[in-house]
Amino acid sequence: MSERRRFRKRLARLRPRALGLQSRITLAFALGAMVLSIVLAGTTFALTRANLVSQRESNALSRVYVNANLVKNGARGQDLELIQSQLLPSLQLPAGSRPILRFEDRWLSLTAQLKEETIPASLRETVSSGHAARMTFSLQGRPALAVGVPVPAVEAEYYEIIDLDDLQRTLGSLAISLLGASVFTTLAGAGIGFWAGRRALRPLADVSQAAEAIAGGRLDTRLEATDDPHLGVLANSFNEMAQALQDRIERDARFASDVSHELRSPLMTLSAAVDILETRREDMHERSQAALDLLSAEVRRFSQLVEDLLEISRYDAGAVRLELDEIRLAEFVMQAVRASGNGQSVPVELDSELASVVVQADKRRLARVVANLLDNAQKYADGATAVTLRRVDDLVQIAVEDEGAGIPDDERDIVFERFARGGGAGRRGSGDGVGLGLALVAEHVRLHGGRVWVEEKNPDGSGARFVVELPVLPT
Amino acid sequence: MGTRILAVEDDERIRTAVKMALEDEGWNVEEAETGEDALEAFARHPTDVVLIDIMLPGVDGFEVCRSIRRTSDVPIVMVTARADTHDVVAGLEAGADDYLTKPFAPKELSARIRALMRRARKPDGGNATMRFGDLEITPDAGVVRRAGTELHLTKTEFRLLCELASSPGRVFSREVLLERVWGYGYFGDGRLVDVHVRRLRTKIEADPANPRHVATVRGLGYKLQG
Repeated sequence: MSERRRFRKRLARLRPRALGLQSRITLAFALGAMVLSIVLAGTTFALTRANLVSQRESNALSRVYVNANLVKNGARGQDLELIQSQLLPSLQLPAGSRPILRFEDRWLSLTAQLKEETIPASLRETVSSGHAARMTFSLQGRPALAVGVPVPAVEAEYYEIIDLDDLQRTLGSLAISLLGASVFTTLAGAGIGFWAGRRALRPLADVSQAAEAIAGGRLDTRLEATDDPHLGVLANSFNEMAQALQDRIERDARFASDVSHELRSPLMTLSAAVDILETRREDMHERSQAALDLLSAEVRRFSQLVEDLLEISRYDAGAVRLELDEIRLAEFVMQAVRASGNGQSVPVELDSELASVVVQADKRRLARVVANLLDNAQKYADGATAVTLRRVDDLVQIAVEDEGAGIPDDERDIVFERFARGGGAGRRGSGDGVGLGLALVAEHVRLHGGRVWVEEKNPDGSGARFVVELPVLPT
Repeated sequence: MGTRILAVEDDERIRTAVKMALEDEGWNVEEAETGEDALEAFARHPTDVVLIDIMLPGVDGFEVCRSIRRTSDVPIVMVTARADTHDVVAGLEAGADDYLTKPFAPKELSARIRALMRRARKPDGGNATMRFGDLEITPDAGVVRRAGTELHLTKTEFRLLCELASSPGRVFSREVLLERVWGYGYFGDGRLVDVHVRRLRTKIEADPANPRHVATVRGLGYKLQG
């Protein structure tokens, strides 16, 4: 592996877990809305602020000139007392605006707080050099505007100190409104993103639902046709894929069924021919008899295999319909054990209360379940030791027990798979298993709405107990 | 001369092998390859049992079954490919008495034939004629009359009716009827009983949809009443 690829791999590991598509779309919308609203709010705030301030300043300036003119006319030849008590109060002064006048090197104002030092030094310098000027500054921690105009005719300088508090408050509430609007816009963006994401992803949700349905066995699931050119392509290819899959599975299922069917005719001939030979067994040479016995056993085994294959292919095709009857389980199990090839002498153990338990079952198939479990015990454990019936609440358990080597934990599920003979099967069995018996047991029991499993019979792990659990029909 | 069996089967090798195996069992076997051959052979020779493969080219097994039933009450065994299809019920409704699935053992077929050829059970007490309302059964003569008119029942339908009549009012489970009429054990196919009861009702009941004589006892079986 190259250095670069290794680096990339490490990078990928550092990256946080990828977000889902929907979350990413939502996030992108929210981020976009947020950036946009912040830019808009910032611009709005800056422009409004510049506008308000310049308006306030120009208002103040023109008023200060008017007042300076009044000072020019009113101050000539007046004494300081009169200027302070009459001229200054007579000026045009809106609220928040306070005058301060330098006249004959004295500083006159209406309040004692306003002194020469209140006015920024740089402003004083500019005004005393003969230029009108204005300046914003902080007065006792609050924003204020100072405007100064020289009045050379009377050798005076006229200043006004204007509170900017209200402007600040206006701008503050504007900022809060804009922030609120930004937050709202961002949330709205996220909302639209979420909605748009869901809308855009809905077809994907449909596809995944359809895929799940198909995986769950409903092979005829298809996507609805759509006019959208992009989605249409997706829906079409998906449906084609589903169709191909369905065809293939049905063909496979049919193949197994067809093969089994085709095998029935030659088997019929074989079976009848073996019968004919067996009628004449006594006329045969000893070696011929042995060969006939082999032939006869194999024909039986072959018939069983074909029947099992056909049955299991019906399950694959989903074509199994149970012939349900209400049966008394205790009587049924005793009959099934008696009718089985390998278990006629196996004792059936049950409580007396079980005599009245009724289950709904397909007699033929449930009898096969019992027979197959007995066959299995015969093949791998020298025969079943007992068949027991037990009632657990509204369930009933049929257990086939043996004293064989037992089945290891990790093989207890595998034994119910097709053609799976447990790891020890070769050692234990005589080798005439066809490998479908337990798979059919599992299918039959499942279709009856029950469960089947295998557990150890003895604490040391030896012996096996195959348990079939069926629901009891309420009486 | 022994019992004659007409075996209808299109596969030559199966036909030959089954014929030989049945002959070993002591039956006389007549072969037919097609449905047409079968009907012709059936018309020409007296036949005791017919064995029909359902899957025949041309005139199929169901049709052969129906044609034979129009003129005869001879026991018919049909051979189907599978036990759990509608074929079985359709075959029984076409008039077959029993069925086997391929591949079957010839000994099993012989057992089936012997069961179908048994005579009807005589009622306890040896009463020659029994009456159930307008129904009149004479087991010895193999005759059933409804309102004086003789009815045409197949041998199996008749045996089923006599079985129910042997204990009027008693409920017979399907297992018991399967054993006594067809010779099956516990695992016989209950559809044999159900379809035969249905066929029997169309013949002996005035209104088969609302049977008066052969009553169904849900979950238990059937009983005969007056």
